[in-house]
Amino acid sequence: MSNRPVNHARAAEHFLEDAPHLKFHDERLWDMRQKRDAQMHMLPEWQELREEASRIKEHTLAQLPEYLEQFEENAKKNGIHVHWARDGAEHNRIVGDILKAHGARSLIKSKSMVTEECDMRPYLEKQGVTVTETDLGERIQQLDDQLPSHIVVPAVHKLTSDVAKIFAKDYHTDPNIRDPHLLAEAQRQAARPVILHADAGMTGGNFVVAETGTFVVCTNEGNADLSATVPNLHIATIGIERLVPRMADLGVFIRLLSRSALGSPITQYTTHFRGPQDGGEMHVVLVDNGRSHRLGMDDFWTSLKCIRCGACMNTCPVYRRSGGLSYGAVYSGPIGAIIDPTFNERKYSTLPFASTLNGSCTNVCPVKIDIHEQLYKWRRVLVQHREIPFVKREIMYMAGKLMGQPKMYRAALRATETSLESLPRFALYNWLNPWGKHRELPHPIKQTFHDWYKKNRATPAATAPESGK
Amino acid sequence: MKIGLFIPCYIDAFYPEAGIATLELLEKLGQDVEYPLDQTCCGQPMGNSGCNSDAAAAEALFVRNFARFDKIVMPSGSCTHHVRDNFDAIPQTDEVRHVRENTFELVEFLHDILKVEAFPWAEFNHTVGLHNSCGTLRALRTASMSELGEKPFSKPMDLLKKVKGIRFVTPKRPDECCGFGGTFSVTEEAISARMGVDKVRDHHDAGAEYIVSADSSCMMHQQGCAERAGVPIRFIHIAQILNGAAQ
Amino acid sequence: MSARDTILQALRANRPTPQNHPLPPVATLGDLDASRERFITNLKILGGDVLEPVEGETLDQAILRRHPDAKVICSNVPEAKGTLPVERIKTPQDAATVDVAVVRAAFGIAEMGSIFLSEAQLPINSFAHLAQHIVVLLSTGELTANMHTTYQTRPEFKSARYGVLMSGPSATADIQGVLIRGAQGVRSLSVWFT
Repeated sequence: MSNRPVNHARAAEHFLEDAPHLKFHDERLWDMRQKRDAQMHMLPEWQELREEASRIKEHTLAQLPEYLEQFEENAKKNGIHVHWARDGAEHNRIVGDILKAHGARSLIKSKSMVTEECDMRPYLEKQGVTVTETDLGERIQQLDDQLPSHIVVPAVHKLTSDVAKIFAKDYHTDPNIRDPHLLAEAQRQAARPVILHADAGMTGGNFVVAETGTFVVCTNEGNADLSATVPNLHIATIGIERLVPRMADLGVFIRLLSRSALGSPITQYTTHFRGPQDGGEMHVVLVDNGRSHRLGMDDFWTSLKCIRCGACMNTCPVYRRSGGLSYGAVYSGPIGAIIDPTFNERKYSTLPFASTLNGSCTNVCPVKIDIHEQLYKWRRVLVQHREIPFVKREIMYMAGKLMGQPKMYRAALRATETSLESLPRFALYNWLNPWGKHRELPHPIKQTFHDWYKKNRATPAATAPESGK
Repeated sequence: MKIGLFIPCYIDAFYPEAGIATLELLEKLGQDVEYPLDQTCCGQPMGNSGCNSDAAAAEALFVRNFARFDKIVMPSGSCTHHVRDNFDAIPQTDEVRHVRENTFELVEFLHDILKVEAFPWAEFNHTVGLHNSCGTLRALRTASMSELGEKPFSKPMDLLKKVKGIRFVTPKRPDECCGFGGTFSVTEEAISARMGVDKVRDHHDAGAEYIVSADSSCMMHQQGCAERAGVPIRFIHIAQILNGAAQ
Repeated sequence: MSARDTILQALRANRPTPQNHPLPPVATLGDLDASRERFITNLKILGGDVLEPVEGETLDQAILRRHPDAKVICSNVPEAKGTLPVERIKTPQDAATVDVAVVRAAFGIAEMGSIFLSEAQLPINSFAHLAQHIVVLLSTGELTANMHTTYQTRPEFKSARYGVLMSGPSATADIQGVLIRGAQGVRSLSVWFT
């Protein structure tokens, strides 16, 4: 994996050039935000729910080892095989070994961000296992060899015509189809035989209940239930932070999840797995992959509260205009920008800067993660770790020095030519130049406020001497 | 009550009329206001860029300039947000705490501290769209936020409604960020400008002749975007309207 | 050290102070109306429908009226005969031939219009998903108000190995945001009150 910092700005610029895609993307996600708002307005208890969800999650994270042990004990009692994976590679090995032990050559799976984190598909494919995504959006992304661009609607950056082209290649449908119904039906028809003949099924898990050893999967298409109930081998890959203590806690989270995500009251399917079906075998792989480390980060551990609803992406004005792929990471948007640097600080060092810090993400977050404040804190950390460009660091250093010296500052304002002498001028101008690319500069003025004040108000006695301290 | 007036660097250099209006308005309201001449910047650009330690000199100077005042008032939401919430590059002495606790954005100050009932001198016969900067909206909370479903309120609107002749329109996405974002405006130039154009078009489509805001930094960016894209809309700081701007 | 112990040890070393984050008491918030009317309103929002009996009509007749083209109707309830004896569904794959599956839900949730099915209500779990359509019998006496009351009062969550809340038929909006009812699971879900 390349360590080069993701160039979000350039990817965004590219995204902006395609007007029809940009327009749809922005409007579609904004519409999801509006629908979320409508749901919120229907529930006077909305803020209480968020507070409850946040407190339950914070409690659970503080007691995570105990709850994981409790889950494991109960799950095993119910006949579930429980595995632990320190990282993506270990997760992939575990899944590969389970499949090998069953002689399984085909795996159907529903959407799971953790398997994306682990980059599982290429690993299994190398072992001769055919992996088929069954979620429509995720399948489109698989066929197009792209990461999901959104954690809930993976192909939201594509138009019907794009999907028609992709399906034409793989499903031999008409590339000129413009009716999404026909394409969805093509997916159903293509997926059915694969599902019926699959050796194994895989799901993720939205919530894990310690008290009962249950894991819960929330989907709309029915593909997760098909993946879990048709083959007799079910493997669930779940991040260790997904725990809740009690069955009753699900009431809070299920009420928030789909309302926040899509603006629908609940997902069409909310499925509770507590043990293998008759004649079946069930495995749960609990994945750490950096989570235990993140739990130790004072400023960032609450990002583990995330329930992956995507509301922060839908509301983010930057995300809506740059697309998920511009983040160059498994997790995009505001939540991605605070999680991704924990995986690779250098590569994702640019993401916390891909934000105006407007704070809308924090307000929509159903578990009250202070996303924009964490973005702000990440910037500090990245500067301390020298993960921001040299020119920017120098400019801030020089600006900071200048701002501490009123006389120099005034002189600089009067003659920008002679200011910032120790900074190579080309660097400063190069850095500030982009302002004018799509914007006019502020108009010239006759007099600064400072000069006006001196002329019109100030008396020598009224002001402290400039060289006083 | 002795008031220290802070004029952010971009207002000083590009929008002095907003600074003058702020001062005159406070004076009209009978306040004892002084502008310390040694001021430069609150430290926000460095802080927002993550270069927090580089903000230390600016913050120390700010405290030297303003510690002797009872209240510090500034016509800028984002600077107020920095001083109040992020001003920690320097040791937090009693003096620093005093400054941080007593710094107010102009609208807050007029609305919450002075509780101004009327601006008899103010008349503005135009249709305006209000732009709340994200700093005033989500950090200072001078208006209700659409994401929270709270009971609608707006301190800037409360003040503007006292102005004779003024008419209001609401854009489709009133709370959407305009894309300025400090250094974001250059490091993510393309997105920033796109957000700015979308913002000014939204106001223009709603029928606004003017965008009025308590933050000149957002308007500097929006104006640049509007002029380049040829969106015919004008910009004015809320202090200028409340002070009875020449039209 | 095993992966399990490595992870648990790291979590113990890194976690925030547990005493600072007590577990809040179980919450029961919001509308506690458990009426059939509320259930129906929400069922329809999620794309489900009510199969209203016409005077003198049997359930089998009502199903045929709703699904006139159905060839294979398979019922797991005594109230309907169907066309295929449910004993013929032996493997998960067998359910793929079914046009209309008929089942009884353990309960319904008024807040969401959801119905609950588990292995106790299904001949085989895939029955509810491979069938093209589903008709769900629901007793008005088995309605609970909202998600809080559901998880607090329904015993099924502590006994079922597989338990699904279905809220309308399968759906997707993954292609250009167009909502399509009938994605990969059932194309329609109809509730027949008993």
